Amino acid sequence: MTAYLIRRVLQSILVVFISAVASYVLLSFAPGGPLSGLRQIQQGGRFKITEEDIARIRASFELDLNLPIRFSRWLVGAPKGPITMGGKEYFADTVVGCRKPIEAEVTNSRGTLEIITVGCKEEVLLKDLVGRRTSRGILFGDFGLSWRLLRDRPVSDLIASRIPKTLQLIGLETLLSLIIGIPLGIYSAVKQYSRFDYIFTTLAFMGSAMPSFFFGLLFILLFSILPKGAGLPYIPAGLSESVRNYTIPLIGDVIAGSAKDRTLHLILPVAVLTILNIAGWSRFIRASMLDVLRQDYVRTARAKGLSQNVVIMKHALRNALIPFITIVVFTIPGLFGGAIITESIFAWPGMGRLYILALGDYDYPVAMALFFILSVLTVIATLLRDILYTIVDPRIRLH
Amino acid sequence: MTVPAAQMDNIKAEAITIEERSPFQVVMMRFVKHRLAMVSMAVMIVIFIVTILAPYITTYKVDELNVNNYFLPFGSVDEDTGRTHYLGTDNIGRDYFSRLLYAGRISLSVALLSVLISETIGILVGAVSGFYGGWIDSILMRFVEFMLTIPTLPLLLIISSMLLRNENLIPIPESLLKVVGDIMLLGPKDARNAILIVIVLAGFGWLSSAQLMRGTILSLREQTFVEASRSLGATDVWIIFKHMIPNAMAPIIVDASLGLAGFVVAEAALAFLGFGIQDPIPTWGNMLSATQTYMFDKPWLPLVPGLPIFICSLAFNYIGDGLRDALDPRLKL
Repeated sequence: MTAYLIRRVLQSILVVFISAVASYVLLSFAPGGPLSGLRQIQQGGRFKITEEDIARIRASFELDLNLPIRFSRWLVGAPKGPITMGGKEYFADTVVGCRKPIEAEVTNSRGTLEIITVGCKEEVLLKDLVGRRTSRGILFGDFGLSWRLLRDRPVSDLIASRIPKTLQLIGLETLLSLIIGIPLGIYSAVKQYSRFDYIFTTLAFMGSAMPSFFFGLLFILLFSILPKGAGLPYIPAGLSESVRNYTIPLIGDVIAGSAKDRTLHLILPVAVLTILNIAGWSRFIRASMLDVLRQDYVRTARAKGLSQNVVIMKHALRNALIPFITIVVFTIPGLFGGAIITESIFAWPGMGRLYILALGDYDYPVAMALFFILSVLTVIATLLRDILYTIVDPRIRLH
Repeated sequence: MTVPAAQMDNIKAEAITIEERSPFQVVMMRFVKHRLAMVSMAVMIVIFIVTILAPYITTYKVDELNVNNYFLPFGSVDEDTGRTHYLGTDNIGRDYFSRLLYAGRISLSVALLSVLISETIGILVGAVSGFYGGWIDSILMRFVEFMLTIPTLPLLLIISSMLLRNENLIPIPESLLKVVGDIMLLGPKDARNAILIVIVLAGFGWLSSAQLMRGTILSLREQTFVEASRSLGATDVWIIFKHMIPNAMAPIIVDASLGLAGFVVAEAALAFLGFGIQDPIPTWGNMLSATQTYMFDKPWLPLVPGLPIFICSLAFNYIGDGLRDALDPRLKL
C-alpha cells in the first residue's frame, strides 16, 4: 500500500508538471497578448512608439526571454540571475533571451505577408535578470501578475475575489444534489417498474442529455424574462447581486447587495446545476442500488425477517454508495474551478467565468494559473478516489 | 431408419414455418421494440434529410442580409422578392430558417466526423494495446489515463483558442479542405475552422473508446477461436482485423452513438463560449450564443437553435440506449 501510494503520488506530480508544460507552451504559441495592440497603434501612426519602448514593454511581460527560461521563472521563480557560488558568479553571460528581435516580412506559401523573427539585435544575458521583478513561482503559490483583467495586479487577488462566489455556488449545489439525488435514486430503485420509476428514469435520461447552456437559457426565459414581462413574481438572473434596487411583485422591494438580493440571484444558477447534477447522480445511484438489491446477502437479510427499511438502509445502501464515491470526489475540482458554462450564462463572477474572460482577453497568466490549480485539484481527486476505494471496499487491492 | 414420405413433408412444412434469423435480424428485432429509439431514429432521419437538402429547401443564402429587416417575426414575407422568412430574421437581417438548416448540416457533420475519427483511433489504439499487452499496453494506457486526468473542458478551451488564433499552425491539405467544405457547404477558409474543431474534439474523444476497446479485446484474446486462428497460421494483423475488431464492434457502436450526442453538445458548448466555429459560419452553438443578447426582447429566439441541439442530443442518446439493449441485453442497467 505504501509503495503504491508513493508511486501514485510521484505519477501525479508528473501529470501536473506535464500538463503545466503543455498548456504553457500552447498558450505561448497563441498570438495576441499585450503586444498585439501596440503593433496596431504603431501602424496607425498617431503615436510614435520607439523600439526602446517595445523592448521595455516586452521585458515587463518577460516576453523577451526564451520559452524554457520563462517557464522556469513562472513555475519555480528561478533563475533570478547568475548563480553565485563562493563569491563568484557563474553563467553570467549565458544568453537567455532577446531584447530587440530583428523582424522581417516574408511571403509565406499561401502568398500572405507574415512577420517572422530572423535574428537578434540585442540579447538578454542571465546577469540582466538581476533586479527584475519576479514571481516566487506558481509552485510556491505566487501566480504572477495579471496582463489585462486587473492590469499589473497579482493574479491571486483576482482569484481571491472570485473563489468565495464559486464555493458558494458549487458548495450549495453539491449539497442539494446529494440531499435530493441520493433518496431519489434509492426510491426509484426500490420501486423499480412503478409509475414513479418510469417518470423518474425518463426525466433523468432527458436531464443527462440536456446541454447545460440551453437549460440555463431556458431557466432564464421561464423564471426571469417571461414572468417579469407578464408582471408576475420573477427571479433575477445575471451577476451575483444587482446594481440597483428593484421591486418584485409579491416579494417586495429588494435592496441591491442585501442578503435577500444575493439569495435571489443564487437561486437560478444553483437550480440549473443541481437539476442537471441530480439527473446524472440519481441515475447512477439507482443503477448501483438495483445491482446490490439482486445480491445474495440482500436476499439473506430479507429471509432473516429484517424489515424493508433495515435491509435497504443498512445492507443495500451502504454497498450501493461505494461506486458513488468515485463520482462525488470529483466535485472537489469543481468547488474551486467552478462551472465554466453555467457561470458564463449567468455572468456569475466565479472562477469558471474568470477562466473564460482570461482566455478571451489574452490574459494568459490568469488562465494559466486557473488551469494549473484545476489540474492539481483534479489529480488530487483522482488519487483520493483510488485511495478511498480501498478504504471503503477492502476487497479491492491496489498494486 | 427411414422416414415415411408423408412425415417428411410435415417436417419440411415445419422447417419452413420456423424461419431462421441471422444475428443481424435478431438485433434489428430487438431494436425495433425499443419504441423511443425508433422514434429518435425517425426524428434523426428527418433532420438528416432536411439538412442534406438544405440548399434546395431554403430560399435564402446563409449570409444574405435583408437590410433594415432585423428580427422579423416568424413567417413574415419579404415584400420585394416574395420569399418567406419561416423563422424570421436575426439581428442583422439574415434568414433564421436558412441559417438553422445550414447550421444543422455543419454541426452534425462536425459531430459525425469527430465520431468517425475518434472511434477509428480508439479502435486501433485499443486493439493494439489489448492484443499485444506488455510494454506497448502500459505506455498507451498510461498515456490515455494521463490525458483523462487533465480537466477536459478547460484544456479544450485552451487548445481551441490557440488553434483558432493561429489557424495555419496545423497544415491541412487543400483537397481535404475542399472535401469537408463540400460536405458542410463552406469555403476552404471556413472549412479550416471546422476541421480544427473536429481535430480538437476527436483529439480528446478517442481516449474513452480506446479504453473500451482494450477491455473488450482483452476478453476476446483468450477465446478459443483466436487460438484456432493462430494455430492455422494467421498473422497478428489478420487476427486483429478479421476476428477481434468485428467481434468487439457491439460496444463500439453503442459508444459511437452516445459519442454523437456528446460531440453535438461539445461543439455547441465550444461555440457557445466563443471558442468554437465563429460567427459568419452558422452553427447551432454560436447561433444560440448570439441570441443571449437579444433574448430579453425576443424571448423565443434561444429556442430556435437550442431545441435542435437538445433534440439531437436526446435522440442520439435514445438510439444508443436502444442499440445497447439490442446488441447486448446483459448490459441493460
